[in-house]
Amino acid sequence: MIFDQIFETINSGLIVLDRDMKVCHWNRWMAMHAHIASEDIIGRSLFEFYPELNRPHFLRNCKAVLAFGHFCFFSQKLHKYLFPMAPVGSLVDHFEQMQQSCAMGPLRNEEGGIEKCYISVQDVTEVVLYQKKLVQLTMTDQLTGVYNRNFMESQLSKEIDRCQRYQHDLSLLMIDVDLFKTINDNYGHPCGDFALKTITRRITANIRKTDFLIRYGGDEFCCILTETSQQDAYIVAELLRKSIADTPFEFKDRIFSSTVSIGVAGLNSDDKHLECLLKKADEALYRAKQSGRNTVT
Amino acid sequence: MNAMVEEIFATEEKDILQEVMNIAFGQASADLAEVIDIFVVLSVPNIQVIQGRDLPKYLLEEIHSSGLVNIIEQGFLGKFSGQALLIFPCGAEKVLLNLFNQGAEAVGGCDIDVDTLELETLMEVGNILIGACIGKIAELLQDIVTYDPPRLIAQDFSLEHPKCCPIDENSFAISIRTVFRFEQEDVEGYLFLITNQRSIEWLKKALYAFLESFE
Repeated sequence: MIFDQIFETINSGLIVLDRDMKVCHWNRWMAMHAHIASEDIIGRSLFEFYPELNRPHFLRNCKAVLAFGHFCFFSQKLHKYLFPMAPVGSLVDHFEQMQQSCAMGPLRNEEGGIEKCYISVQDVTEVVLYQKKLVQLTMTDQLTGVYNRNFMESQLSKEIDRCQRYQHDLSLLMIDVDLFKTINDNYGHPCGDFALKTITRRITANIRKTDFLIRYGGDEFCCILTETSQQDAYIVAELLRKSIADTPFEFKDRIFSSTVSIGVAGLNSDDKHLECLLKKADEALYRAKQSGRNTVT
Repeated sequence: MNAMVEEIFATEEKDILQEVMNIAFGQASADLAEVIDIFVVLSVPNIQVIQGRDLPKYLLEEIHSSGLVNIIEQGFLGKFSGQALLIFPCGAEKVLLNLFNQGAEAVGGCDIDVDTLELETLMEVGNILIGACIGKIAELLQDIVTYDPPRLIAQDFSLEHPKCCPIDENSFAISIRTVFRFEQEDVEGYLFLITNQRSIEWLKKALYAFLESFE
């Protein structure tokens, strides 16, 4: 009696299946979120309602549970969800489907034989949203919305390792806004912020989705171009330089120009660390500045 | 066998335990072949008693790797309970990802980054291996165990410079170590079952019951 009530009222989805994948029990949580009443689904195959579960990975897990008594876990990170359901409340704005953490295990009869199995479904959408927000906060620059230095240090050394391992090309651009201080001094900090945002927008428009733009410091940016040789990176850098120099900036009736200097460095087999690549790009940037700014070196 | 093991297990008990493990892991290996279509070779288990604080040193001596490992932990609860630690040298996750996704459909979708995919695969493989091995031991000894979800407790963990110990420093671990190897691929991992005193008492009774069932 008590356990029946818990089964129905618990704030998780619970399903009991027999060895032929026919539904034996379907709790109220499942009925509420899947919009399938228990009387409609009990006695019928789960795959009639969820044909997408009828795939090798899921069937393999069913076999592990029913034949060998194993327990299986379907993590949200890997599977997102097992049963497509609408997210609850305002989470609809962030996810198309409720994110679920599911588990499956054997149910035994009195002799210990496995006759049935259960699946439990936990709604973890809210946690996933917080995780996403946290990751975003730690990885992005609040002013410009591009990646921050923290991201570069944690993620890009891995990217470099990968390129070294598979001998792929990778290039790095070090971008510095010329005389940024004068923009701030002449037109004020809001205008300086505007210039930084406009510059990142122009750069982002000219690089691919697989490239990374990072705000490295105040007016310094770093751009990682994946699968790009140093020669090609030079062409990209030239394009970026022109996209900034050629169109004037307009902020509250003020029109002004800004330029950037760019140092280009390509990954060599002897560059073991991110620092080596950064150092090379920094040296190239210094030469660009020396040769009169608005230049690519 | 060291002194501590002798205090906890009599020679005869150790022999029975060894035998149970041999049978269990032999059957587990057969089950695994059927579940994942991959033949897993499990070595003859070795039983040791170790103090928690000595575990990293012990692991370093036992595991022939550069010293960087990933550790997956899974708690199991029955009359026989404790934690299972599955230790892979760093880099194994890449091989396992290839091995386990061969011919299988892509899970989750393409928005999962490779690192997550590798670590999640590691945990999925961990769950399968741990479940098969512990499940068999439990079955032979007439016990039924349930499991916590697997967790990655240490990533790129350095055994040479451990910052913390995977288990409580002062507790004693009865380590049942097996090396397993995937036949098609050259990946080795180490499984340690760390159990407590109460489980050991039950284990001894169950071992004799197991022996009697043959007499």
